[in-house]
Amino acid sequence: GNDLALKKLCELRAGEKCCVVGTLFKAMQLQPSILQEISEEHNLVPQPPLPKYIHPSDELILEDELQRIKLEGAVEVQRLVTGTIFAVYGSEQDDGKFLVEDHCFADLPRLLPWKGPSTDRFVLLVSGLGLGSGSGESLLSTQLLVDVVTGQLGAEGEQSCAAQISRVILAGNLLSQNTQSRDTINKAKYLTKKTQAASVEAVKMLDEILLQLCTSVPVDVMPGEFDPTNYTLPQQPLHHCMLPLASAYSTLRLVTNPYQADVDGVRFLGTSGQNISDIFKYSSMDDYLEILEWTLLAGHISPTAPDTLGCYPFYKSDPFILTDCPHVYFCGNAPRFQSKLLKGEDEQQVLLVTVPAFSTTQTACLINLRNLSCQPISFSGFGAEDDD
Amino acid sequence: MEDELYLENIDEFVTDQNRIVTYKWLSYTLGVHVNQAKQMLYDYVERKRKENSGAQLHVTYLVAGNLMQNGHVCHKVAVVREDKLEAMKSKLATIASVHVYSIQKALLKDSGPLYNTDYDIVKTNLHNCSKFSAIQCAAAVPRTSAEVSQAQTSLQAGSQTQSDTNTVSVPVVNGHGPSTAKQPSQQPKGIMGMFAAKAASKPQDANKETKAEAKEAPGVSTVSSKPPAKSNIMNNFFGKAAMNKLKVNSVPEQPKEEKEVVKPSVPVAEPESSPNTVVEKPGKKTESARIQQKDKKSKMKRVDKSDNEEERDPENLKKKRKRIKQLQSDSSDEEDVPLPPTPEEENAPSPPPVPALKTELEPAATEVSAGGRKRKRKRVLKSKMFIDEEEGCMVTEKVYESESCTDSEDDFAKSKPPAAHKQPALPMKKEPKEERKNLKKGTATANRANKQVSIMGFFQKK
Repeated sequence: GNDLALKKLCELRAGEKCCVVGTLFKAMQLQPSILQEISEEHNLVPQPPLPKYIHPSDELILEDELQRIKLEGAVEVQRLVTGTIFAVYGSEQDDGKFLVEDHCFADLPRLLPWKGPSTDRFVLLVSGLGLGSGSGESLLSTQLLVDVVTGQLGAEGEQSCAAQISRVILAGNLLSQNTQSRDTINKAKYLTKKTQAASVEAVKMLDEILLQLCTSVPVDVMPGEFDPTNYTLPQQPLHHCMLPLASAYSTLRLVTNPYQADVDGVRFLGTSGQNISDIFKYSSMDDYLEILEWTLLAGHISPTAPDTLGCYPFYKSDPFILTDCPHVYFCGNAPRFQSKLLKGEDEQQVLLVTVPAFSTTQTACLINLRNLSCQPISFSGFGAEDDD
Repeated sequence: MEDELYLENIDEFVTDQNRIVTYKWLSYTLGVHVNQAKQMLYDYVERKRKENSGAQLHVTYLVAGNLMQNGHVCHKVAVVREDKLEAMKSKLATIASVHVYSIQKALLKDSGPLYNTDYDIVKTNLHNCSKFSAIQCAAAVPRTSAEVSQAQTSLQAGSQTQSDTNTVSVPVVNGHGPSTAKQPSQQPKGIMGMFAAKAASKPQDANKETKAEAKEAPGVSTVSSKPPAKSNIMNNFFGKAAMNKLKVNSVPEQPKEEKEVVKPSVPVAEPESSPNTVVEKPGKKTESARIQQKDKKSKMKRVDKSDNEEERDPENLKKKRKRIKQLQSDSSDEEDVPLPPTPEEENAPSPPPVPALKTELEPAATEVSAGGRKRKRKRVLKSKMFIDEEEGCMVTEKVYESESCTDSEDDFAKSKPPAAHKQPALPMKKEPKEERKNLKKGTATANRANKQVSIMGFFQKK
């Protein structure tokens, strides 16, 4: 409401109710910190990576341009992460902490007009192909996927449906984690001289798959956590020299992570999943879809960057702030497929999709652009065991 | 007639060759549309089953349909063995398609071999992998290397401008990529600048520019004419189709964001231009002609070639420099002979000064073109010994004598001819090699003649 005074932290006076806006910082005990390691370097076992770093003793601190203040009260400490822009309503206590009575986020950004198609058009979202993993289970499924998209599999009805696919977006982790082969860093040079990196074979395989896809549909390729590109967000596109066969086609587009595009008038925005999984680690939220929705409400794609997630140090403007509301908001490499149509106050409609990792689930997502509906497609071959 | 033929073919593949015949493999092998291949397989299975012949056939099917999972509709596509077909069909709520996936003689334990079969056949046909598919994409036209290098340069130029303005490419609508198509003339010069260090760069550049512009023109025009208008042409091209051919064109809308269309590709360093520059370099016509010949031979092996050429180019330059140095050094020092020829030996295209030298010296010079050294008359430094009566002594004189010999010996002590090029029209690969060999031999003997008496001297004198 407008009757409330919006104050800066330095203007606070004890007992006075007001509203403060600032950035959250969560002081976490279990958060891996380089300083801790250095100070205990002689007898320290480095902290093993935990699935979650939350701890009951975590505290929230609100920072604005000049000061910071501890928060208490009606805030769920476990659900919030560092970097969120937050507005709190309450008053300062005598002991210097701020008692929160109510809070709110930035909420959904402004609405984008809808220019979607009137006929059925589909976009296929796949992530986590995981090539080069050394296990051939998902290879047949990948081939089946390519065959469906290129119109070779299926009867005529299926093929005409596949012909309506106007874009395929590969959302990260095209290579598997096994291709990382970090051992070579520790080994002596003479041992590793002639060995080829595991990712070379995997990239060749990727090139062939992309070539098959590119001959019939435009493909957008986003890099992910295990792909040969830079580590910090925003990840730059894969270099075209790695994909000589497929790069000859203009239907192949190598794009960044995060990625925003207009497909047939529908605005897509998404990442390869590093931002969501990072928030997963530092908050009590377990559901990827929930986290996805939360980032949309908070108005920022990745609040934990650069604190816990590597990110380029932007100092003038933050490109991860959401200014327009996308129509489809996705994240890749989720543990399972989920989707939800979120309705905002301004009549925004956002389709939230968590794309599962293909190498484990053999599932991809097909999004109908006409009505923003989403359907998972799963592929399978048959194995030695019968599980029917 | 035709019907019987394909049945026989399939029969042969399955029973005689004991192959796993998947629909895709059949489609590529017989050159038919995938739907037709599936139909063929189905027909074959039907007939075989009716005949009840002893041969056992195992068939795998592809089933696709919807099923309810976790409360929402999930589409499932699966390859199943025949015995599991009914089970799978019953699991699905609605069935979208069922068709034969493959036929083989042996029972498959798992779907690995199916994948391998498909993988192999696709790998051999990688460049026309969607020829027999049901979906044709009008925009999926592989670009020529000219467009590719154009795309590369515009992207590089674009990345420079982006870094200048400090913008981040992150949540940028992809259409904001720079689409300057008129910049390539600078970039090729930049790359070729490394190679065209020496003289004669001006005519080359002029040549290149016209060439680049010529390439640009078609490049630009193809880019602009890409959108759906082409789909009709593609339609007609594939018009003479089989019965079930489905002409569903996925017309990918190319909305405004496709300004940036040009995407980078192989940095093959303009294979077209590098042979050109080599051609224009004076005094290297044999080598250049040879490279041209190579070009004509294998267009696909461009990458390897360009690598070789790139390697060769700086070495050629080095050699060129070395050659000049060698010519200079000869005037001062005879003993400097071994130095230049040895690197020349190592390099494949060695436009040696030797034939030039030799042909100049010999009055009857026909040997160069033939590529073989026949008899030659040439002047050789020999020591003549005679008795000088007047002074009562024996005199040994070193005299140039004209002598016929079958081996070619190099005479670097002789005058240096200009690096002339009476190279033959037909390039002979053998020729430089032979010359090289002779060079080596000649230098060796020359060395020995100058430095120490060889053991053969016992036989040679007198």
